[in-house]
Amino acid sequence: MNRRTAVVLFAVVVSVLGASRTSWSQTPNLAPGFSGLPKGAKVVMMPADIEIYSISAGGVPEPRADWTEAGQRNFKSIVTRRQGTLGLSMTQLAEKDADDFAEISALHTAIARAIAVHHFGPGSLNLPTKDGKLDWSLGDSTQALKKATGADYAVFSWVRDSHASAERQAAMVAIAVLSLGRAVPRGGRQTAYASLVELDTGRILWFNRLSRESGNIKDEADAEETVESLFKAFPVVK
Amino acid sequence: MKTLLGLLLVVLLAACTTVATKKVDSGDNTIGDRLQVNIEGPWNQITAPGMGPAYIWTMEGLPVDQLRIYSGIKDGEVIHDTRNSNLKSFTFRSNMQSDELVSMFEGMLTRDGSTFQVTKVEPSVFGGGKGVRFEYAMVTKEDSLPLTGVGYAAVNNSELFALLYNAPRLGFFPRHQARVEQIARSAKIIATPVPAKN
Amino acid sequence: MNRRGFLRAGCGCSLGTLPLFAAGQEPWQAPARFVRPDTASDEGGIWAAMDREETKLRRSPFNLRDPQLQPYVQDIACRLGGEHCPDIRVYLVRTPYFNASMAPNGMMQVWSGLMLRVDNEAQLAAVLGHEVGHYLERHSIERLRAAKSSSAIGQFAGMFGVVGLLGAMGLVAGMYAYSRDNERDADRIGALLMNRAGFDAGEAAKVWGNLMLEVNARPNGSARNPLFATHPASEEREDTLKELAASLKGGVTNEDAWQQKTAPHRRQWLQEEVKRGQHEESIAFLTRASTRTQGKADYLWARGEVYRLRAGSGDLDSAVKDFQAAVALGGEPPEAHRGLGLIYRSTERAADARASFERYLQLAPDSADAPMIKNYIQELSV
Repeated sequence: MNRRTAVVLFAVVVSVLGASRTSWSQTPNLAPGFSGLPKGAKVVMMPADIEIYSISAGGVPEPRADWTEAGQRNFKSIVTRRQGTLGLSMTQLAEKDADDFAEISALHTAIARAIAVHHFGPGSLNLPTKDGKLDWSLGDSTQALKKATGADYAVFSWVRDSHASAERQAAMVAIAVLSLGRAVPRGGRQTAYASLVELDTGRILWFNRLSRESGNIKDEADAEETVESLFKAFPVVK
Repeated sequence: MKTLLGLLLVVLLAACTTVATKKVDSGDNTIGDRLQVNIEGPWNQITAPGMGPAYIWTMEGLPVDQLRIYSGIKDGEVIHDTRNSNLKSFTFRSNMQSDELVSMFEGMLTRDGSTFQVTKVEPSVFGGGKGVRFEYAMVTKEDSLPLTGVGYAAVNNSELFALLYNAPRLGFFPRHQARVEQIARSAKIIATPVPAKN
Repeated sequence: MNRRGFLRAGCGCSLGTLPLFAAGQEPWQAPARFVRPDTASDEGGIWAAMDREETKLRRSPFNLRDPQLQPYVQDIACRLGGEHCPDIRVYLVRTPYFNASMAPNGMMQVWSGLMLRVDNEAQLAAVLGHEVGHYLERHSIERLRAAKSSSAIGQFAGMFGVVGLLGAMGLVAGMYAYSRDNERDADRIGALLMNRAGFDAGEAAKVWGNLMLEVNARPNGSARNPLFATHPASEEREDTLKELAASLKGGVTNEDAWQQKTAPHRRQWLQEEVKRGQHEESIAFLTRASTRTQGKADYLWARGEVYRLRAGSGDLDSAVKDFQAAVALGGEPPEAHRGLGLIYRSTERAADARASFERYLQLAPDSADAPMIKNYIQELSV
């Protein structure tokens, strides 16, 4: 074969090898060695931690309690509607029962941030000791949750939506126009985390993150899309 | 921990090239020319400009745990990042006694409004010389998350050598504490380099 | 009868300038208990936001869940609220700043910085009564409606929320501060509620007078003092309350009961006050507090600590004096001896330092820093 063919072949081989390596190794969303939940697994859904903001003309995010209320309602009703369809035994932990688990929830939020920055982040912040794997665990601190709910797994969710107010949108257009299109300031943003935790070990088995400029959980029509995106490839039944 | 992480993210947005994460391998490691430690099992070191004079290591990521190592801090030096100049600053003084060193670190760790309660203070060896070891409990301002911490400090030839480790009380501090204590026990201050003659 | 209508009837003047007991008319009456508004309404949104803040507060490590103190304060709030008692839920919050607040959904917060500063039950009742006054007159809902901004609810709810928002408190409190008329009304109603609950309304003016002492002590004494961000003190307020009290006679102060019930927390609260690092304010407050009938040794110790930490010219001498005075009184915190020991050690009075440290260890053998202090003793014995 001539040299050019060899180079092309080499490139093809490398990319095929690379591709097959990728499909053989875990996706970044799954912990090593985990590919799915067993059928009928008992899963408890923690109350979602949702806050929705309006961005003022000056770019300052302001909490909107009414939107947050709506976001929470939407999330809950979507989960309620779908939980029976997953082949799992899923229950939702009532807000009032969540008092005892405030520390675990706060702990989970801290870990979710760490995963977002050091696993799904810019790469330069990846932690060498994690070796590119989703390898985080809350340890035996989740045993209490298992005991209280009888579940073997828990799902934690965290959503922060911000939406540009009308004034902000006007300001954005002005900035874009004045800078002749060079500066296009950010409008709204949606950041969300969801994780599946094995309650016996505290291991995070699955994690997903949304960080995008669209996404709207406060409006019923759009909330479905956020929940779907967040739980896309949720590792259901093996 | 928000402040450190916040800084990191700001720096990242501003100058992607200067943030680095490095693997610190098992065995002997020299920190800032003056402090040698021996570690069992690797750690992650995070460097970025403007993070203050401490070397920052982590096992789980900055939002979860932080190991701060101080190597040869001089009299009059501020011991933290100087970004929030409207907050009180904490400076090392070479005549500080053990109780004052603990107060200084307490002040630094509570700049962001987190709370701090010392739970133990005892004389100890650090770096091969007399020092202090202290344990503390914190609650972060941002998430109201309870943390546990341990610190070691010693003043050697008017310079500060110290190590502070913070992690959530649930799960994480117990998990990593033994290795942190081992790092502290292994610490050796390397002789003062001879100053250049004028 | 609609109370607002009644009070405005026949008079073009604002509520704030109308006396509570206009000649020939009935005295002010509290409205009937509030009903939870429809969730879809404006006000419903406010309640929902409050409920969420309340949940966060309930779960917060700063929520001081003391089985003795909480019911005691709850009871005082209840008596002030009268028929509204079942709607009032009191949360004690661990933070050295002076604040009490009541949200439209009935959640009441009382901060430890306030509990440390009031001298007796009546003074506490004055502040809580004032808050209940805002609640009964629905001032906060008025303010929100006036604010027009739809993000107001969230920010506003945040004001009543967890201590962690203290940093923004000054800003937000400024935006949603009650109007002067609202404040005057709340003062008047508070005084009335105090009196009806059997407390001496004359104590209300003292609360603000005492606060002014601290505000004025601050070197660059600013009005935007975060200590009192939500309760601006003023001479005018003090004077108005004195006038009001003149027509509201009788009632108890219950200083002893208050001192006794808060005694188990006093040292902890004083530690946190000292840690604020606002030396001049602390000294002003502690000087006043050391005239109380109970806990003198504790206040003297705390003031000594502040002097020791400030370490300005002459401060170490002042600290020694305070520590020694605390010791002379008896029942002193062991930390008084620790403080003496540290000062003697730093001024090379080795024998005195050793003696003080030894006394500290005798009184507090299990203190967190006992091992360090033992070590200091050994070093001083060489």
